[in-house]
Amino acid sequence: MANNATPQIMKQGRLTPWLYLAPAIIVMGFFIIYPMFTTIWLSFQNRDGTQPASATCVEGRPCWGMFENYRYALTAELNTSTIQTTWQTFWTSSYGNTIKWIAFMVSGTVGIGLFFAVLAERVKYEALAKAIIFMPMAISFVGAGVIWGFVYDYGAGDKQIGLLNAIITGLGFKPMAFMSTPGANTIALIVVGIWIWTGFCMTVLAAALKSVPDEILEAARVDGANEWRVFWSVMVPIIMPTITVVVTTMVINVLKLFDIVYVMTGGNYGTEVIANRMYTEMYINFNTGRGTAVAVILVVLIIPFVYLNIRRFLEQEAMR
Amino acid sequence: MKKQALYLVSILIIFSMILSACSPATVEATQAPEATQAPAATQAPEPTAAPETSAAGTIDCKGAQSGDVVTMFYQWSGNEEERLNQILQPLVDACGIVVQPESSRDQALLDTRVQAGTPPDIAFFNVTQLEQYQDLLVPMTDLGANEANYPAYWREIGTINGSWLGLPVKADPKTLIWYSPVAFEAFGYEVPTTWDELEALADKMVADGNVPWSLGMESGDATGWTGSDFIQDILLVTQGPDYVMGLISGEIPYNDPGVKQAYEIYGRWASDAAYTVGGAQGTLETGFLDAIYLVFQDPFAAMMVKQSGFAGGEIAKQYPELAYGTDYDFFGVPGAQGLQGGSDWMMAFNNTPAVQALVAYLSSEAGGQSWAAAGFDVTPNSAGISAYTDEALLKKAEMLANATGFTPDLGDTIPGGFGSAEWAAIISYLSGGDLDAALTNVADVQAEALNK
Repeated sequence: MANNATPQIMKQGRLTPWLYLAPAIIVMGFFIIYPMFTTIWLSFQNRDGTQPASATCVEGRPCWGMFENYRYALTAELNTSTIQTTWQTFWTSSYGNTIKWIAFMVSGTVGIGLFFAVLAERVKYEALAKAIIFMPMAISFVGAGVIWGFVYDYGAGDKQIGLLNAIITGLGFKPMAFMSTPGANTIALIVVGIWIWTGFCMTVLAAALKSVPDEILEAARVDGANEWRVFWSVMVPIIMPTITVVVTTMVINVLKLFDIVYVMTGGNYGTEVIANRMYTEMYINFNTGRGTAVAVILVVLIIPFVYLNIRRFLEQEAMR
Repeated sequence: MKKQALYLVSILIIFSMILSACSPATVEATQAPEATQAPAATQAPEPTAAPETSAAGTIDCKGAQSGDVVTMFYQWSGNEEERLNQILQPLVDACGIVVQPESSRDQALLDTRVQAGTPPDIAFFNVTQLEQYQDLLVPMTDLGANEANYPAYWREIGTINGSWLGLPVKADPKTLIWYSPVAFEAFGYEVPTTWDELEALADKMVADGNVPWSLGMESGDATGWTGSDFIQDILLVTQGPDYVMGLISGEIPYNDPGVKQAYEIYGRWASDAAYTVGGAQGTLETGFLDAIYLVFQDPFAAMMVKQSGFAGGEIAKQYPELAYGTDYDFFGVPGAQGLQGGSDWMMAFNNTPAVQALVAYLSSEAGGQSWAAAGFDVTPNSAGISAYTDEALLKKAEMLANATGFTPDLGDTIPGGFGSAEWAAIISYLSGGDLDAALTNVADVQAEALNK
């Protein structure tokens, strides 16, 4: 060995790296790749995976052959008799609700998070302020759902134990049934999501703000820019990569969101989101084919955002 | 300083991510109770002492030898299992049969046993399993079941393709309305005996300034089951048990005018704040347990709540000072031509002397009486009627004896998401949606599930 010029490690064959990777590949294959392909396969089968999905077609009804489960997943919630009803039912379907969640929750968490991140930098008790906003993040979704369930509680009798309705009735107005009023209930649920996730966005954005060089800010202020201008023309462009990452992460989070809706309304009263629908089809209706079809659609919707996130990450890595 | 703060924050992030990663497990655990079997059906007052059953002399061992083994599979545990043991004890004493039970609520476990070719000798399960395992089951007539002790409709339910495969051992009728006798007396109300009387009573209550019903049905992702129970009871009044069985078999589509009429009867009460606490919103958002309490709290918010037998146990738990019979009581839905509820069926996979002895015993007079005496819900065995020690059970047994049919819960019996479609229809109707469209939706699911 001693007279060998090249160390053994440099002469590794083609096989060696695979050996090192093997444990990871086996684990990934078993827990991610295999279930993924099974899911895709099942989504083309009937309710218990014993026959192709096309076998479930009924004569005289619309059918997409082997894509029958996808027909169900995509159109069953819609009333396609006219364009107008299609449009209306789309916005109360799980897809429409998920879009509402993305629109309001992502803008809510990122907007409020950024707002607090900027403000918190300027106060002495920064750590305390951030800790308070971050705190809900430590509560599980289920816990948050239960807590907010009490906030929104609607008592059918004279007593209102719900915080909001206690305030409303205390002011002399009529109590409102937050959870069963279509439209308002989805917004009420989104508020819970914002409450939980704002702390996360704030923390990440605050860290990015710290990396904005003080000299540039100074220079801008010396040049006469007001704080508004400094924020929009200096800070935001510099932390834009982080904002993008936070936004895509939040979109992925929201697409997968399940717990809040499940705990607070069970997906009833027109609050169902895609992940809830998947659960309902799988574990309440026991229809594996339809459940997995919804799951596949969800994955397909998430992929672009994962791709964006990874690309952004690689770009950042390359800059280092 | 800044670095340290960041460090702390990142630890917090990781910690909270672990926390939130753990949360799905909690979701599973907090699942809403399954529709009809809600909290374990504990009857109002427990029988104080286990009554002696000394019927050993009348037990026919069918040639079973001492030490013969009967393997069993059932979904009872704890208190329920004790009662079953108590019921079987006379047989065990008389014939020396050894019972080897296996207890699980997981039907998949039974499926696995059956598919593997090693089924238990006896399974106590739901009526749907009779159809599922019809090719493997030994007919009750071959096992010497005493059919004289069972009304014809019970045998009909247990008969699949012409052979009687299942012995009904236990029934839990839920065609019940709970009320406070004290409050009824204070206003001079009488327990109604016909549907018309019930409607008149409800109107009279409204005229007196009382709210007749507490129809709250919120139950997480199972919201609506209380409503579907009520609607099925209305169907039993207006159409009868054969009609309900027709819905289950798919002969009658769910958007039939009869069903629509039942929804309208229900909706007239369930969406009117004069008739139910909080009107439609109250029905949608009041938890089904809270709905029970509203009738028995002081002061009461409503006069009656339509709920299964478990309501008695819930009232006893919530208001320990209230006594069954004086402070709370129930009556059967007046005018119902049949009952609805859960039932357990005994099915045999093997024909051995010990199995025959067991079938003969449970279908005999002695078996029916010891079942009734043990207070394990109500036995369909008509010989049991004289042996109940529990007033509430006796009342249910009398209802059962007078019934002309027994229907399982529609939503539980029709597969393929019918139950949740039914609930969705009720929710949409009470939220002001179009009833015809909602019922057509359910009918589609029904047709699809039953391949009609």
